[in-house]
Amino acid sequence: MEGGGLAMLSQLIGRLQVLFDVYDSPPPNYFLRFPPPPDHHHHHHHHHFSWCLLSLNDSSVKDNCYNLIITAGKSENLKMLEPGKPRPAKKARKGRNRGKLTETTNSTENMDQIIWKDFPEDLFEAVIARLPIAIFFRFRSVCRKWNSLLTSQSFSQQCTEVPPAQPWFYTISQENVNTGAMYDPTSKKWHHPTVPALPTELIVLPVASAGGLVCFLDIGHQSFYVCNPLTRSFRELPARSVKVWSRVAVGMTLNGKSINGGYKIIWVGCDGEYEVYDSMQNCWTRPGSIPSNIKLPLALNFRSQAVSIDGTLYFMRSDPDGIVSYDTVSGSWKQFIIPSPLHLSDHTLAVSEGRIMLVGLLTKNAATCLCIWELQKMTLLWKEVDRMPNIWCLDFYGKHVRMTCLGNKGLLMLSLRSRQMNRLVTYDLSSKEWLKVPGCVLPRGRKRQWIACGTAFHPCLTALA
Amino acid sequence: MASKGNLTLKSCNGKEFIVEEKVAVMSTTIKNMVDVDDSFAQGVIPIIGVDGKILAKLIEYCKEHAEADEDEEVKSEEYLKKFDEKFVDELNLNDLYDLLKASNYLEITKLLNLLCQKVASMIKGKKPEEIRRIFNIKNDFTPEEEEEINRQNPWAF
Repeated sequence: MEGGGLAMLSQLIGRLQVLFDVYDSPPPNYFLRFPPPPDHHHHHHHHHFSWCLLSLNDSSVKDNCYNLIITAGKSENLKMLEPGKPRPAKKARKGRNRGKLTETTNSTENMDQIIWKDFPEDLFEAVIARLPIAIFFRFRSVCRKWNSLLTSQSFSQQCTEVPPAQPWFYTISQENVNTGAMYDPTSKKWHHPTVPALPTELIVLPVASAGGLVCFLDIGHQSFYVCNPLTRSFRELPARSVKVWSRVAVGMTLNGKSINGGYKIIWVGCDGEYEVYDSMQNCWTRPGSIPSNIKLPLALNFRSQAVSIDGTLYFMRSDPDGIVSYDTVSGSWKQFIIPSPLHLSDHTLAVSEGRIMLVGLLTKNAATCLCIWELQKMTLLWKEVDRMPNIWCLDFYGKHVRMTCLGNKGLLMLSLRSRQMNRLVTYDLSSKEWLKVPGCVLPRGRKRQWIACGTAFHPCLTALA
Repeated sequence: MASKGNLTLKSCNGKEFIVEEKVAVMSTTIKNMVDVDDSFAQGVIPIIGVDGKILAKLIEYCKEHAEADEDEEVKSEEYLKKFDEKFVDELNLNDLYDLLKASNYLEITKLLNLLCQKVASMIKGKKPEEIRRIFNIKNDFTPEEEEEINRQNPWAF
């Protein structure tokens, strides 16, 4: 009985921590509103979550016009996203017009010459694989053949030959936990896909990605889901073999060079427990235990998403500060002790062209600055390589700023918030370019969404979950 | 006759081009011919269905890329990217089409990909009915089916 009680407690604490990280500011009566744990009926937990989120929402976002229980639970919300005449805010409309302008320039390009009528059949797939993702979907209605490309082996092959563009971001907003908002940094547009297969009664957060697939975990750390947000290809992973649903860090990586070879997902907990899921076998395995040179408890930094480089996953830890890595090919764990820069907070790992990077806030006196470091592999030290432009950092002066990283694959999306400020920026780790992200507004909505968490993914039309 | 290390390519309208072997074998088709039969390397390789103007273009492209593959310092990735951009921008539609067919036949993958990218950027702003007209594709959907397909991914519209 006691063991069960303890497990339940650790589970509740884990969920609280996730909510705390995602939503940042729990109201003072948060604990009072949290309902008592049910007995062994995990599937009932979600009701409590809607409830506690609602209470969070009531007090932290005063002008919120959405009732979270409705948005989270009912299907009306899905209808809102059906095609129609969206009424975006002024800024978004400006973006749309710009898109239209370039469209007309292209349309005037005269392709009426007779030659195109004999376009070689075998080249269509190569051309279509190079269209922007959104255009691909618009052209599905050209004919049956074009519509069937998503399941074509040869088209899938063509897609792998197209050099990867910038990653997209799959995010969820605080107001709308069951609808994803996808950001395409190339067109600077938000898209609002629906993934009908994802449970609407649970809160599931995007936690990792590989090969165009996004891995979701519910905030009770029990159920994993994988989906391609472009095509809705979906899979619920089998249950993990643990009894205590404490908080875990999650990493995802491909078995081979492309998604066709399958993928692995790994979770690791603070007690050093871990399991590896292989999509080819569709099961979780426990390849062994963490070696004794890795200090337990493993104080994982859950705010930092894992990064994946050539089949090795890197997780951030503290006490001692550093990184633990898991090589999914050899199955070996390693620990690297790396002292954190002084005055660092809200830090997260990132990856750029195979290099391990760190992004975080430096706060000294009243000044806050966003910094980027690169790991020096020989000395195991973080070396500062860039800072956010001064003019932007000045906006943080005297404010208590929190940062959340919403994607860390070559391109970062960072959410910077204080009481008076809510800013989204992207940073390209290779070109060192900082850009502001336009506000995310739902179709037919007016209110700017508050992006709570997310993950970067490389959009891939033919990736199957 | 070409000296050692060089190949002679002959267009369908009789124009001959002497090119270095490393340039010619950017084409997988030519590479396979040379690999299989040494005599090709000595004689003249006829390039069927490709005229002199297009063949000259192909050689211009392959020359730049073969040299870049050999010496990255002289011709950097950035240089090549600029070269590629200029190369496709200067093509008229007829030449683009002929080059596409020629690079497909000769299996010059890099060039083929570049040209496919160009076609993709030309058609991306068009409507499905324009696409059908340009490429002479028959709409084999019923209006209901077409509507249903467009409904599946509302976010893309």
